[in-house]
Amino acid sequence: MEPFFVRYRNLLVLLLVLLAQIIGLAVQVRRTAAGRNLLDTQDGPGVRLIRLWAEGIVSPPERLIHGSKIGSVQIWQDYLDLRHVREQNQDLQKTIDRLRLEQASLLEDARQGQRLQALLDFQQKYVYKTVAAQAIGASGSDQSRILYLDKGKDFGLEPDMAVIVADGIVGKVREVFPHTAQVLLISDQTSGAGVILETTRTRGILRGNAAGQVLIVGILADQRIQPGEKVLTAGGDQIFPRGLPVGVVEKVVRDPDRDAFIDIFVKPAAHLDRLDEVVVITSTLPRFSTEQEKDLATSETLKGPEVEQAKAQKKAAEIMAERLPSLIDPKLPLDQQPLHDTSLPTSVPHVPQAIHPDRFTPGSAIMPDLSNTKGKEGTDSATPAKPAGQKTAAADPSSPGLAAKKGSATNLAAPPAKTEHKPGEPLRRNP
Amino acid sequence: MMSVLASDTRRDMEIRRYPVLVYTLVPLAALVLQAWLPRVLGRFAWFDLPLVVTVYFALGRRSPVQGTLLGAFMGLFEDALSHHAIGANGIAKTLAGFLAASVGVCIDVENHTIRLALNFLLSLMCSGVYLFIYRFLLALDLDWSWMAELCKALGNSVIALFLFPLLDRTQIRD
Repeated sequence: MEPFFVRYRNLLVLLLVLLAQIIGLAVQVRRTAAGRNLLDTQDGPGVRLIRLWAEGIVSPPERLIHGSKIGSVQIWQDYLDLRHVREQNQDLQKTIDRLRLEQASLLEDARQGQRLQALLDFQQKYVYKTVAAQAIGASGSDQSRILYLDKGKDFGLEPDMAVIVADGIVGKVREVFPHTAQVLLISDQTSGAGVILETTRTRGILRGNAAGQVLIVGILADQRIQPGEKVLTAGGDQIFPRGLPVGVVEKVVRDPDRDAFIDIFVKPAAHLDRLDEVVVITSTLPRFSTEQEKDLATSETLKGPEVEQAKAQKKAAEIMAERLPSLIDPKLPLDQQPLHDTSLPTSVPHVPQAIHPDRFTPGSAIMPDLSNTKGKEGTDSATPAKPAGQKTAAADPSSPGLAAKKGSATNLAAPPAKTEHKPGEPLRRNP
Repeated sequence: MMSVLASDTRRDMEIRRYPVLVYTLVPLAALVLQAWLPRVLGRFAWFDLPLVVTVYFALGRRSPVQGTLLGAFMGLFEDALSHHAIGANGIAKTLAGFLAASVGVCIDVENHTIRLALNFLLSLMCSGVYLFIYRFLLALDLDWSWMAELCKALGNSVIALFLFPLLDRTQIRD
């Protein structure tokens, strides 16, 4: 028997190693009731141990590389490259002022919203507590879009916590180790997040594909869904709080497998390829966090009087609008109000030239004989209307519309100053 | 400096020997860089450094057993860093290590064209084995892009073209 093992040593070793790995694979896969094979979402103790060892070997050098990179970048950014910082600071101050103003004006709405939610027993979750973390590594495989964070169980991270950046969502925590955590990106094939389209309110499931693109699958064909529409988290997956930005619709394509369905490719708001610092949402509660409350209070203190003043001005404008309906149309924006409408004629329209001029024709030098006009009343509407118009305009001089009419009527009533008229000739319009 | 293994076969003169430090640190560096570089290069990380290193040492040592074990270690390590089943990459790289070492016995491994072609073919084979294990052995859903795998195979070949001569300098010469 010895020559056999010596002769086929290489092949036997190969077969043994392959067999061991195949058995290991078989342990990790389970069959569902529907007859489909699935990988266990939670690793078994043995598999978890292997991952822990691998991560323990790789993460120290990764931290070292990341730390040295950050150190050199910080030296450059904090001490050497400080151009335009003053201008940026001024701009940021202005932005903060503006945001505080907006925040103070929205404060009351937010509080009212919370009260109503409490009344309706609707649990809208707010981001309550977060942990900032650095991305130090990846899985290194296209098939597994994983990110490693430099914080783990020691900072309170747990599986299925949402990971976000300022621009949008990034993914969820998949596995937590003592000092690191594994994040499954939204561009991974096995990821899933409940999302909603902002305008059309269409709901779907976000996942990745082999090329690392992010798409919403299983949506019925809808002509209203167009590129550029914003995608937000729907909040139904119990991982991402509702309303966080996900990205924008990039293109809509027909599902190759199902005719009536479409796939929506989404351009993620977060730069998933270049992630450095991320935020892990460690807690969501149905109320604002202490920091948020403090921030709101600061905004109210600093910008409250300005907001009140703006509200008072708005209220005064509304009262004016009620009293002077012709001045302001509440349905129109400010720049389209009638007073601002430059398309309207500013001068009084000219009177059409009479085809058969008589003594009643405006500008006629002949004085009307009132005794002859009695029988014509009601047939000629222009002449009797003039005094009425004058009277109304005089009664309410504040109305610009009527004032305009008044001007018009005055012009109509005014005799032509220097018009020469020869009998038998048609009357000329007085400019 | 000490050699990893004593030269005890009839191919004494052909087998390359490396310092222990190189034999341990280079695979480790490959694994660390493979985990770190995709963060820097984004979607243009078209390479598989652990596979390149496996092929290099398998070709150099010309021992199918060592190639098999090194491939299995590298593949399992990569699997452990991902969230996929542990073993799929392991099997693929085990086969790659075994084949590279077996081929290394028969051909001239100094030739650049052969190195380039070997890396390209073994990269594609690894991808094919990985796909086979996932889709057929485990019957799991997996989106696949052969274009990405082709790019990765090309990237591996180019890296091997520069990395192999560098690693050649570390070998122990009598």
